[in-house]
Amino acid sequence: MRRVSKFLSPLFVCALAVLSAQAQAPRNVRVDFKETTLKNGLRVITVEDHSAPVVALSITYNVGSRDERKGRTGFAHLFEHMMFKGSENIGSGEHIMLVFNNGGNMNGTTNEDRTNYFEVLPANQLDLALFLESDRMKSLAITRENLDNQRNAVQEERRLGVDNQPYGKSSERLQELLYDNFAYKHTTIGSMEDLSAASVEDVAEFFKMYYAPNNAVLVLVGDFKTAKALAKIRKSFESIPRQPDPPKVDMTEPQQKEERRDTLNDVLARAPRVALAFKAVPGNTPDFYALQVLAGVLQSGQSSRLYQKLVREKELVTNVGGFMDEKRGTGALYSTSTLRPGAKPEDVEAIIYAEIERLKKEPIADWELQKAKNTTRRNLINGLESSLSRAVTIGQYTVYYNEPGLINNRLDKVAAVTKEDVQRVANKYLVDTNRTVVITMPQAKPRPATSSTGQ
Amino acid sequence: MKIIKKRSHAILALMLIVLVSSLALGQGGAPAPQQQGPKGAVIKGKAPVNKEVLKVKLPRAQETTLKNGLRVVLLPAHKVPTFTMQMVVLSGGLADKPDYHGLASFTATLLREGTAKRSSKDISEQVDALGATLNANSGLSSTTTNVTSGGLVENLDQTLDLFADVIRNPTFPQAEVGKYKSRMLAQLQSQRSNAQFLASEQFQKAIYGSHPAALASPPAESIKRLTTKDLADFHSTYYRPNNAILAVVGDVTMKELLPKLEKYFGDWQKADVPAIAVPPAPAQSESRIYVIDRPGSVQTVLQLGTLGIERTSPDYFAVLVADRVLGGGPASRLFLNLREDKGYTYGAYSNFGGSKFRGTWLSSSEVRTNVTEGAMKEFMYELNRLRNDPVPMEELENAKRAIIGSFALSLEQPNSLLQNVITQKIYNLPADYWDTYPQKVAAITVQDVQTAAQKYLDLDHLQVVAVGDAAKARAVLSKYGKVELYDAEGKPVTGSESNNNK
Repeated sequence: MRRVSKFLSPLFVCALAVLSAQAQAPRNVRVDFKETTLKNGLRVITVEDHSAPVVALSITYNVGSRDERKGRTGFAHLFEHMMFKGSENIGSGEHIMLVFNNGGNMNGTTNEDRTNYFEVLPANQLDLALFLESDRMKSLAITRENLDNQRNAVQEERRLGVDNQPYGKSSERLQELLYDNFAYKHTTIGSMEDLSAASVEDVAEFFKMYYAPNNAVLVLVGDFKTAKALAKIRKSFESIPRQPDPPKVDMTEPQQKEERRDTLNDVLARAPRVALAFKAVPGNTPDFYALQVLAGVLQSGQSSRLYQKLVREKELVTNVGGFMDEKRGTGALYSTSTLRPGAKPEDVEAIIYAEIERLKKEPIADWELQKAKNTTRRNLINGLESSLSRAVTIGQYTVYYNEPGLINNRLDKVAAVTKEDVQRVANKYLVDTNRTVVITMPQAKPRPATSSTGQ
Repeated sequence: MKIIKKRSHAILALMLIVLVSSLALGQGGAPAPQQQGPKGAVIKGKAPVNKEVLKVKLPRAQETTLKNGLRVVLLPAHKVPTFTMQMVVLSGGLADKPDYHGLASFTATLLREGTAKRSSKDISEQVDALGATLNANSGLSSTTTNVTSGGLVENLDQTLDLFADVIRNPTFPQAEVGKYKSRMLAQLQSQRSNAQFLASEQFQKAIYGSHPAALASPPAESIKRLTTKDLADFHSTYYRPNNAILAVVGDVTMKELLPKLEKYFGDWQKADVPAIAVPPAPAQSESRIYVIDRPGSVQTVLQLGTLGIERTSPDYFAVLVADRVLGGGPASRLFLNLREDKGYTYGAYSNFGGSKFRGTWLSSSEVRTNVTEGAMKEFMYELNRLRNDPVPMEELENAKRAIIGSFALSLEQPNSLLQNVITQKIYNLPADYWDTYPQKVAAITVQDVQTAAQKYLDLDHLQVVAVGDAAKARAVLSKYGKVELYDAEGKPVTGSESNNNK
């Protein structure tokens, strides 16, 4: 018998066992969680696991860049940075020092659909983790000095990730072109101009509206006794007052009627790039899982159809890749190819479209379906290994879909996908009129290497 | 978008846990409220911190050796039904023939492009259908080659079959070699669009001169020269069981694993493998400043560093702690100063590395062009401060607690535990090396840190690289010494007149 840690119960599934390639019955793992809601509306999910002396705490707030208004793009993420600049009992930067100097790790991340904060610490620092998160939910310090400091840091983050990177602006352009609804039509990093416009009043208003206990999910995973930990959580969080529910964002995305296309000249790029997106469906829907399988067959790994065709056979690109994006609102299937010198974007596009046509006409092979399922299984299982990854994943599933148990049954949803499903979603979503294309061309910019003045 | 983007740091590892506070770290009680902390942070000292450091102990790896000399190391980890296995071939880029830089790297990469019984396409399809991974690589100045495969434990047999096949029977088909060469040549071009690549390329050249570690990527001439025969010769010379360690971590026992290894590797033939002399890092030239012009840049990528230590250096722990104080993480001086205090950057870090020859000790950041001067000033301030001033006791204890405390977290990262075991084997470190690691960290004193800083952050030989808008960067950096100007192709731009005839 295999040893299994206490919180993981062995569960044998037969769905995969029928595949002839499987030598032994696959063992599944299950995360047993307990759900509680505090009086102020804070949802709390705990997973007791004594396999390592670690505690991981995540708080996922139901706010992302989709909640931003025009003129304040990038604000949700800028706000996230402010959460590390101190609160009533924590000094600016002290949060970072307390976590790392005690052997922990932490971060905060913002995307279109949610903002999360997390730390993982040795198990004897549970009180510290709870104190750090409750103090800032309760009493964020909002000062002009802190805002200016983090505005600078975030603008450098934008330069590092977008403005100083080849193809950075192309990715931004693709998102703007793809979506009609403002919620997703702008990037999470936001524009320089809007970041510059953010005020301390904006920060205070955003904090009150979105950083309320009733707009958050707390997940605690690790080496603790559930009853004791829950008592501590209540003591730290239950007195934080509930706020009126934030306004609901209209996520309606109109049907696309014709192909959208743009070409950018990029002074930083050395090779042309073709980036495509097909507007599709929200995450955790049957068509979403079928499109995930399709994306794997089309462009994941060296066995994928586009790698074999474009990289190896035709030798037109140095690399190709993409994915089905998981969103609460309408997601898209992306595909990006970086061309070799001399290759033409239209030739690459033509081959990609021919491969997509083949997906519409013929069922995928047995091994391709098996690849998608095994790869998903491995990724999902590996995501259960660390406490931190479980804490973050459960928080996300709860805020996205109100479905913490998705951590246990997501694999079943992928296993349910058939070859017919893949063919059906190819015909439904991967059509010309539903396509957005951004081509990047390298732009030579001859310029003197030295000039007379410094600024 | 994240609040921080952390660079990878080698973290430690181990298992088993006893709650003890035997390490006298972080003693001294909570500081007074509103006490001023280091630059960039305000310490109120009100948060509840448990002063006990969780002590963790390394799990004993199980070891055995096959008859042909293949050493096997297993770290069982049964939490989830997956595994990772890594064949460490004890020869890498340092074994490349003269003028054939990249030979070890190409040999590794082309393992999966065809074997006696499988084509490149067969291998890709079979690996992907199992939901497995299979990768191989060797650095240009590496002492090893690594072939790594991860997968679902129910597919262990089939994955091992593929893993063993590419390691033992690669054919390096001529057509595949040709395809790979042409793709590599295209990538050599496109990587030059990346500012960090340009900075690293110049920095390594500045530190290592004609040593193989000077190369950030294989030269085009070497790539063009390589043939199927070169790869096959390298393979048959160095890929031998008596020149390898197979390290496995995952949901498997030695009893289950051993018969499978006998089946797939038992008849792998051993052979005499030529010993490779490790070239020492060269004597360092005087401090130099390199500016690389990258048209269109809106940031300056700054890299400043010196020659560091070998992995087995007796100064390893002093440098480890000193680096943590300087820039080893977001709670370190560079991040707190350049980002949290000044807002110059998204991140500023230092790191060091070393193998059988001396590695580098590098500080780096990406800053908007018009604060290049301020950033340089703060970098120099922090390097000088670490050299000239004793590190305050509380800061030293924080750095040590950060390193030791993270052992607990590494218990959830079986693969990092495996890397520790491999490190211990490759460098012939004592068997109790990781068990005693916390004590060695705890023993580091204020004086040790300062001595290490003075010895290795040798500012007379500091190499500085700036990639960005050359006109602006040059004006700033010329205050620190003579600036050598390069273009984005890595070619020197000679004289101020020469800039128009590139």
